[in-house]
Amino acid sequence: MTKTITIYTTTTCAYCEMVKKWLSSKGLTYTVVNMDEEAPEVRQRVIEMSGAMTVPVTVVEEVTENGQEPSYRDITVGWNPAKIGAAVRDMVAA
Amino acid sequence: MANVKETHDLVIVGAGPSALAAAVYTTREDLDTVLFEKGVIGGLAAITDWVDNYPGFIKGISGLDLAGQLQGQAERFGANIRLGEVSSIVDEGAVKRLETTEGTMWAKAVLIATGSDYKKLGIPGEQEFYGRGVHYCATCDGAFYRDKKLIVVGGGNSAVQEALFLLRFATHIDMLVRGEVKASEILQHELDKQVQAGKITVHLGITLNEIAGEDKKLTKVVATKDGETVEYPTDGVFVFVGLLPNTGFLKESEVKLDELGFVLTDKNLQTNMPGVFCSGDVRSGATMQIASAVGEGATAALKIREFLEMQERNHVTPTGELV
Repeated sequence: MTKTITIYTTTTCAYCEMVKKWLSSKGLTYTVVNMDEEAPEVRQRVIEMSGAMTVPVTVVEEVTENGQEPSYRDITVGWNPAKIGAAVRDMVAA
Repeated sequence: MANVKETHDLVIVGAGPSALAAAVYTTREDLDTVLFEKGVIGGLAAITDWVDNYPGFIKGISGLDLAGQLQGQAERFGANIRLGEVSSIVDEGAVKRLETTEGTMWAKAVLIATGSDYKKLGIPGEQEFYGRGVHYCATCDGAFYRDKKLIVVGGGNSAVQEALFLLRFATHIDMLVRGEVKASEILQHELDKQVQAGKITVHLGITLNEIAGEDKKLTKVVATKDGETVEYPTDGVFVFVGLLPNTGFLKESEVKLDELGFVLTDKNLQTNMPGVFCSGDVRSGATMQIASAVGEGATAALKIREFLEMQERNHVTPTGELV
């Protein structure tokens, strides 16, 4: 299964920087969505997806085609390396 | 084959300004220095919107940028920052044994620089709405409150500073203060300007009772003022009501704490456990200023160097034997 990592952040969020540093230290690439630069609909979507009004929100999910719902999606709210680590375990090079 | 002990000259618990300043000094002395950070590199400074009183920056500097500069400087000289946690420190004579998320390791000296965290209110609704209306980090979560009404709880420097930051997003802020506003003159002046502009309303003598909502959405804060129950409608609550030392991991250790949980040290910033030092906000008597924390970090580093030199002169081996 191929997975992608997306981090929802804000410009001033220090915890978001920790997630980025941690993923980079594992050699993982990720997409950043800065909510300071996005439309209100994106913020609303993140709130609905995470159930929280806070960042970082880190989403690890299966890559799908043609808009299909991924069979795997893990959402981590906040800076929680143990949880993110479990979600990306199979993505880290041995 | 015998297990090889992972032993370092110095393990620093924490990677806030005090820890990073100490690391700049110890790494420049060629001391093998490892830092453990379980939260944010840069500590509370990193989540502070703007730092105006740290010397050397004419226009001030964002907390995140200051943290990045401190980290970069320490790493330039070889500081080894690990994202993990230290759960205990045990005195084994000439070395200290540390249990960490990376396993057991040993250090000839230890610096406790774990800083402090914002206190919780401890009232009903606070936990229920945590992250969904109740927040402790304005720079992280403020962006969710564009064109909304907010409450900031607290009346110290942090509360005023973060309320001013939150005006980037919120249309109006009610500041609920238990006693009086006790912020620096310059922050007080900025606050007064926003009060006159109608952007912030300060309510004094407020005791909070409950954070309440409907349909899982926070809607109001219930409080008492002059013996009467008062309700403050809001979309979100940001709490800045003082600091708690990050010393939970020391509760079972022999390192002495004061009655509030801060680490006790002597004039050399050494704790009652020889070779274990402490600096910054977590130290009993700290002034809770970044500049002070950095100064203490540098002082601690020099005292640690002296301590290690003395150990060397006394020919104490890392296993604690005199030779």
